[in-house]
Amino acid sequence: MGTMGLALPWEARISLERVQRGPVEPRETTREVSSVRAPLSRDDLAIAAACQSGDLRAFEELYRLHGARMKSMARNLLGTTSDAEDAVQETFLKIQRSIATFRGQSSFLTWSFRILINTCYDARRSRMRKREVPQDEPDRESAPRPEPRAPLAHPSLKLALERAVEQLTPQQREVFLMYEVEGLRHSEIAGVLEISETASKNTLFQAKKNLRQMLEAPRSSAAEAR
Amino acid sequence: MKITCSERERIFLDGTPDEWAALEAHAGHCLACREELAAWRNLSEAASELHQEWEAPALWPRIERALREQSRAARASWWERLLGRPNLPSLAWQTAAAALVLVLFSAAAIWVILHRNPVVPSTALLTDRAVGIVEERQAAYEEAIDKLDAQARPQLDQAATPLMASYREKLQVLDSAIADLKSQAGMNPANGHLRRQLLAMYQEKQLTLEEVLEAKRQ
Repeated sequence: MGTMGLALPWEARISLERVQRGPVEPRETTREVSSVRAPLSRDDLAIAAACQSGDLRAFEELYRLHGARMKSMARNLLGTTSDAEDAVQETFLKIQRSIATFRGQSSFLTWSFRILINTCYDARRSRMRKREVPQDEPDRESAPRPEPRAPLAHPSLKLALERAVEQLTPQQREVFLMYEVEGLRHSEIAGVLEISETASKNTLFQAKKNLRQMLEAPRSSAAEAR
Repeated sequence: MKITCSERERIFLDGTPDEWAALEAHAGHCLACREELAAWRNLSEAASELHQEWEAPALWPRIERALREQSRAARASWWERLLGRPNLPSLAWQTAAAALVLVLFSAAAIWVILHRNPVVPSTALLTDRAVGIVEERQAAYEEAIDKLDAQARPQLDQAATPLMASYREKLQVLDSAIADLKSQAGMNPANGHLRRQLLAMYQEKQLTLEEVLEAKRQ
């Protein structure tokens, strides 16, 4: 595409800007106010149009903008970095195969995330069938150690949370991971999962309530033991 | 803004920034809400630790290679679809073969139409096949008229009446014209106008000979 240089500016304009972890709860409102939606939508459409024309540079731009978030999401759904990378690759192949069906009714990013999530669940089902890795024992050891971001974070809490997230319903898990971990807005999650924003908020609330119960249970048991 | 404990979960679900600020103020003097608020926030902070980033320098080249291969395979499969693949339903290759034959036949027909001699709307020129047919019929016609001429010739040669003399002169003119036209038709056999003039001369000669024979009978 001859206009790629104009259509896809090289500055990163990530529509799903990772949220600064400040005040936790009113984040949705903060994000809505701070984000600049119109130019981001143009980029989204420009990338989609370039992908439709078969321009591999557009796929590279999509990867550059959202590859890290896609890898992280896949890692949390599949448990290992190698599976996550395979899922991201498969997602890009599926995007290329079905790009002709993208009509712009949702944003290109949410459409891509939907494909990613479906790909991850396909991989989980395939893995369960092959019984290569037990579902409740993901290969956490093979994952590179992320740089610690919160000094108070405790490795055991993180591990407990990972296991608790696995116990959520699929939709609760997806909403929780997309909102709390990957920083998507409810409006974007609604687009990915094809649900309403209200449903996304309710699902997140229920997911967090369930997680709290799961994570508090050992404490209660310990207290009873004492 | 005043907040009560009963509103806490609603704010967790969908609170505005003002409501969150009011809940924090309320939690300053409400132990239950303070603990709930802390637990809720701790969960979000712990969740942020689940986001993982790692270097994967080989991943994009791998994806790019796979995308190129898929793109190439998609282009190749167009031909495979046309020619049929072994794993397609049983009639697919026959359909493709029929389509190919149809395409080739159409192409040949178009080529023939584009490269054949331009069609002349006039009938001035005859095709080789038409010339052959005309000459064959003309020979039979000449033979028939020669027979007629042989029957009439004694009458013409012997009779000394002015009518017969007139018929004889007319037949000489016709024979001369026929000889000229045959000579021109020999040089230009596809000329339809010459053939028609020749036919007219023969017909006129036939009528004249018939009149001669009719005069003899009378």
